[in-house]
Amino acid sequence: MKARNQNWQRGVFIGTFIVPTFVFFCIFTIYPVVQALYYSLFDWSGMSEHKTFIGLGNFRDMFRDPIVWRAIGNDYFLVAGKIVGIMLIATFFAVALTRFRFRLAGFFRSIFFIPNVISVVVIGVLWNFIYNPQIGFLNAFLSLFTKEQVTITWLGFTSHTIWMLLPPAVWAGIGFYMILMIAAIQNVPESFYEAAEMEGAGQWHQFTRITVPLIWEQMKVSIINIMMTTLNGSFVIVWIMTEGGPDNTTQVMGSYLYQMAFRQYHFGFAAAIGVLILVLSLVTTVALQRLLRHETVELG
Amino acid sequence: MTLLNRKMAALGIAAMMTVVPLAGCGSSDNNNGVSASPGASSASPSTSPSSGASASPSASPSDSGSAAPGASQTKLTGDFEIQYFVGGYGDKWWKKVIADFKAANPDLNVIEDGGPKINDQNKPRWIGGNPPDFVYIDGPNLNDRQMVEDGQLEDLTDWLQTATNIDGDKILDILAQAPQKYDGKIYNIPLVLNSWGIFWDKALFKEKGWQEPTNFDEFMQVSETIKAAGITPFIHTGKYPYYINGAFLYPAIVSNNNDDYTILQDMAANKIDAYKSPAVLAALNQIVQMRDKGFIDKASIQINHTDSQMLFLQHKDAFIPNGLWLPNEMAKDVPQGFDFGFIPSITQKAGGKVVANTSTATVAIAKKAKNPEAAKAFLQFIFSKAQASQWAELSGAPSNIKGDISSSSAPSFVKDAAKYLTDPNTVVIPTITFNADVDKAMQDATDALTIGKITPEEWVKRVTDVVAKVQ
Repeated sequence: MKARNQNWQRGVFIGTFIVPTFVFFCIFTIYPVVQALYYSLFDWSGMSEHKTFIGLGNFRDMFRDPIVWRAIGNDYFLVAGKIVGIMLIATFFAVALTRFRFRLAGFFRSIFFIPNVISVVVIGVLWNFIYNPQIGFLNAFLSLFTKEQVTITWLGFTSHTIWMLLPPAVWAGIGFYMILMIAAIQNVPESFYEAAEMEGAGQWHQFTRITVPLIWEQMKVSIINIMMTTLNGSFVIVWIMTEGGPDNTTQVMGSYLYQMAFRQYHFGFAAAIGVLILVLSLVTTVALQRLLRHETVELG
Repeated sequence: MTLLNRKMAALGIAAMMTVVPLAGCGSSDNNNGVSASPGASSASPSTSPSSGASASPSASPSDSGSAAPGASQTKLTGDFEIQYFVGGYGDKWWKKVIADFKAANPDLNVIEDGGPKINDQNKPRWIGGNPPDFVYIDGPNLNDRQMVEDGQLEDLTDWLQTATNIDGDKILDILAQAPQKYDGKIYNIPLVLNSWGIFWDKALFKEKGWQEPTNFDEFMQVSETIKAAGITPFIHTGKYPYYINGAFLYPAIVSNNNDDYTILQDMAANKIDAYKSPAVLAALNQIVQMRDKGFIDKASIQINHTDSQMLFLQHKDAFIPNGLWLPNEMAKDVPQGFDFGFIPSITQKAGGKVVANTSTATVAIAKKAKNPEAAKAFLQFIFSKAQASQWAELSGAPSNIKGDISSSSAPSFVKDAAKYLTDPNTVVIPTITFNADVDKAMQDATDALTIGKITPEEWVKRVTDVVAKVQ
């Protein structure tokens, strides 16, 4: 009797933890996802009382829309660019700030983290000023080395303007992943490095043979996290800086979704793009995890 | 620790856990994106003239319509709900006119739904079939053509044929620009009469001895001189290409169509042939001429309205396509001595008529209005001559009601504009709303044209492809 009572109490105790979380998860995640799936099957302006069921019509239109393909391409360009850019720089800074002992390391750690404290909206506005062809910092800087005033329209190329959104996106991401790497590197026992040094291993050898294998888990998590936040969140920086323009060259899936839902009144189509983002995020996550599978190195 | 204590502690932790997830609610996942309404406010610059009109309210002597004859034959009762967006024109006029309307109809309970976010706030009610009775269509996320297509607005065609205002004037007769027709039917009435056009600084032109242009040839000539003087002749808002479309391209199409604006109405009605007209190509070629001479500021393509307007005010550029709200919008940043010159269109031939492409905001009655009688009475109330002056004073923009506002205390450029727009030699294009997809296609194509990415023929091809799809 007593045991049963205790079991029941244990159940209640665990339940109070899990049930509210589960309820909120259902309300704020499952329900909107199901709702989006549902809307994606309709031709709906987003304002009308009436929705017309069109089955997979939105998806068919979507795959025939060249802008959708460009948006997907731009999204994956940003994913690839950010993964390479952020991981290289963040890892370099992390190693520099932990392994190359020098003064001011703490100071630089704070400096590099600052972009993470700034809202992405502010970053977008800031970089808009940097890129401004007339009063921008970049052209003013380049003009120091040329006779003529430099007037490059950094966000107005006829194609490939998406390249210009990479630096702010990378810049904004470095700090956080650098902190992750620093934490991981600090967990590597100092004795490993001492031993390696005595055996005559240089910094590069130490990095490739000790640091990378032992922080691989964190690197993997970082890469997957960059991928997911980019596919879901590249909207903000694109919308602030270019609104997908000029002529849709910087459109990403999120910005096109917004454009379609709230500017062109195709809510059903936008919901279909939302479903596409979800599917691509899931597929890419699984694919990356397979790709990055690696023998986990245990601390000896 | 006793069992009881342990229980209490567990309960406490459990209670805490139920609260913690709540704190995280703010950042609900937006994987599907649909339910997420991004915080980035979608600034709709067309509706962003800042109301700086410092006119003292109630300056107009004949503003209370309560004494008007035939104000309301039947006594209006019940609830009457008005949705109005508060943007650049402010809400001073709405507050005033609603107070007057209340005074004239003491038994009516007028409910105000006003604010800069009201369009989003009331959206669920429109979707749910429970809309307010009366709506002012302005600001982001509210599009009159879309509302008509969604069947949300009351058909006013028959009613307007005979409707008179509280002074006994026929409403259709006193409107400066006629309402837009959708398949021959009228659903909304323009309240504002604003105009797109080209601005310059008269003071700068005087100082440099440049001639203020009145037609396209003069414009191209003076631009040559301006460029030689080291100033870029023309800047536009490439991030929002509807500025150059509204102030340059559409008037140009009309000028090239022998001043017949029905071509734009045909375009808005998605008639493909209208887009293939030589007038469209000729107008696009005027942009190409400007582009090829290097008159268009290269910065244009990537900047928004505020940036382009700042560069214009700083004399980096001589001309800017914009709307009449510009002086108000930039009031705080206008340098001393800056004197706005304005012409509604610059693309006409020498001796040709000026074409004014109007920009407006309209009012309408919801199809599912619960008090349509009150809504109609309110229409009769606001479309009166007394309100013409009052609107101009309190919102800083010309009203769509014909009426002499020269004696009112409206800002002087508003009076000038009103004069321009009522001049018999001006071709006034009545308000036109394009299909949103077509509009976007034209904006993208114009942007591409200004940076030399496509030719005028490709512009037409692109846009007609979208029109065909929309049909």
